[in-house]
Amino acid sequence: MNRAIRVFFLILAVLPLAWVVVSSLKPGADILASPWSLPTTLRWDNFGKAWSEAGIGKAFLNSLLVTVATLLILMPISAMAAYVLARFPFRGNRTIFTAFLGGMMFPQFLVIVPLFLLLRDWHMLDTLTGLTLVYVAYSLSFTIFVLSGFFESLPDELAQAAMLDGCSDAGVFWRVMLPLAKPGLLVTAIFDAIGLWNEYGLALVLIPGAENRTLPLGIANLTMTQQYQADWGALFAGLVISMAPVMAVYWIFKDRIYVAMLAGSIK
Amino acid sequence: MKRAGFIASFLAPAVLLYAALVVYPLIQALTFSTYQWRGVSAKRKFVGLENFQTLASDRDFIRSVTNNLGLLAGAGIVVVAVSLIVAHLTAGPGRSAKLLRGFSLVPQMVSLVAVAVLWQFIFNPEGLFNATLRGIGLGSWTRTWLGDPRYALGSVGVAFAWYAVGFYALLFGAGLRNIPAEVTEAAALDGSKGWHQFANITWPMLWSVKRTAITYLVINVMNTFALVFLMTRGGPDRASEVMLTYLYEQAFQNSKFGYATAVAIGNFAVAMLLSLGILFFLRKDPTASRRAS
Repeated sequence: MNRAIRVFFLILAVLPLAWVVVSSLKPGADILASPWSLPTTLRWDNFGKAWSEAGIGKAFLNSLLVTVATLLILMPISAMAAYVLARFPFRGNRTIFTAFLGGMMFPQFLVIVPLFLLLRDWHMLDTLTGLTLVYVAYSLSFTIFVLSGFFESLPDELAQAAMLDGCSDAGVFWRVMLPLAKPGLLVTAIFDAIGLWNEYGLALVLIPGAENRTLPLGIANLTMTQQYQADWGALFAGLVISMAPVMAVYWIFKDRIYVAMLAGSIK
Repeated sequence: MKRAGFIASFLAPAVLLYAALVVYPLIQALTFSTYQWRGVSAKRKFVGLENFQTLASDRDFIRSVTNNLGLLAGAGIVVVAVSLIVAHLTAGPGRSAKLLRGFSLVPQMVSLVAVAVLWQFIFNPEGLFNATLRGIGLGSWTRTWLGDPRYALGSVGVAFAWYAVGFYALLFGAGLRNIPAEVTEAAALDGSKGWHQFANITWPMLWSVKRTAITYLVINVMNTFALVFLMTRGGPDRASEVMLTYLYEQAFQNSKFGYATAVAIGNFAVAMLLSLGILFFLRKDPTASRRAS
């Protein structure tokens, strides 16, 4: 009995996505005309159309660039800050930590107007550099929060031994503590990467042009441009292209992703 | 001192970036909301609290608040109920439980843009849902789901629930695992099982997770943007308008930057009030007294 209910919910979760995958291989006009039909011939050319003509390839590369660049800046500076905040009880420590935590409390739309005008004044509107810096800034709270938990749990003895061997504070961090925190860094980076890959609200406002569109912007744009052609093949192929990397990453790391998802919520 | 220099240098990059791009815009948001301003600095005019007075009597804004609240009540109940069921179903050891846990979180991994596009096609007049209704002989039940003011908001709610359930099931699942086995075993020995056990033992014991989950729900629903923006554009005739789509319209279509910031602060205030209310109502652990005695 429970098994049947499980299968029911499993289908509920997966069926809409399976429908997207099957539809992406059908002629575009059939997707709405006969939504339940299986493709008679596999239209792989939908993927070619999505990648080149519909601009999904360009958007894919933009998203990849922004996500990787964000992580390359975010992870070291968050790890450094989290390490210091977790292990050195200096004056003002809790104030800074609380200020970072506060960033998780408010919605990004609260600051979207000032942020838009700020980037406009800095001539960084519609640039991937501007978007990357904003992504780093708005990922700091969560990343520092989770990483400081990892650093707190590391044993003191190793750091002390390294200090006795003549390591500086910075040397202890880079040579001893950071390697020990690797599993934590990996989980946090994966979780951040998924969120960044999928981010829409900030990108919508900060990237108004066509050239630097990220994947979510590219997909959203496709739904509007394709409307007039009623050919949805490229759109559905684009959806599959945008989802596939995240699904692969999720399935490989899912047990660790659960931990990261619960990190902020269960004490 | 050497150590002070080390601490400062390790904190500096994160703190500077955070101050410039998070804290500074946050302070600016407060001042912007007191301006009448179209984004050109010369034409900025201080109007005090006028934006908030306008907001309080802006029927479109009030409509968007009630839509947010409706979404919270409707989708919230569905999400909590379904995710509790899924959490129970994934608690066991077997293969199907593990598979369900893996797949129930798959929608969470999809971008909200993809979720919106997908459900737009499901609810399209010619889409998957209506085709299914016709296929099983319920053709008279078909509607233009997203184009009808009676169903637009509910349809967005369905998409939201589909997306959100996995996360809340994970949350409740963790809560269920935290209930000591002795408690449920003792209850079972006393003859408490099934619904009775859930209502008298499990549900009260989930107290802290419940509080977390409902707070998350409030924040998530009040922050709804992409789903509405892409599925219905807040329409038809503002029937599915939410606070953040209204904010976007005011800021980036009408260039009313001052007023839009007031909308943003209004949105934040509603979310905060609701969250604090929940923390207040769920402040007492219902199992504490029993444990003490």
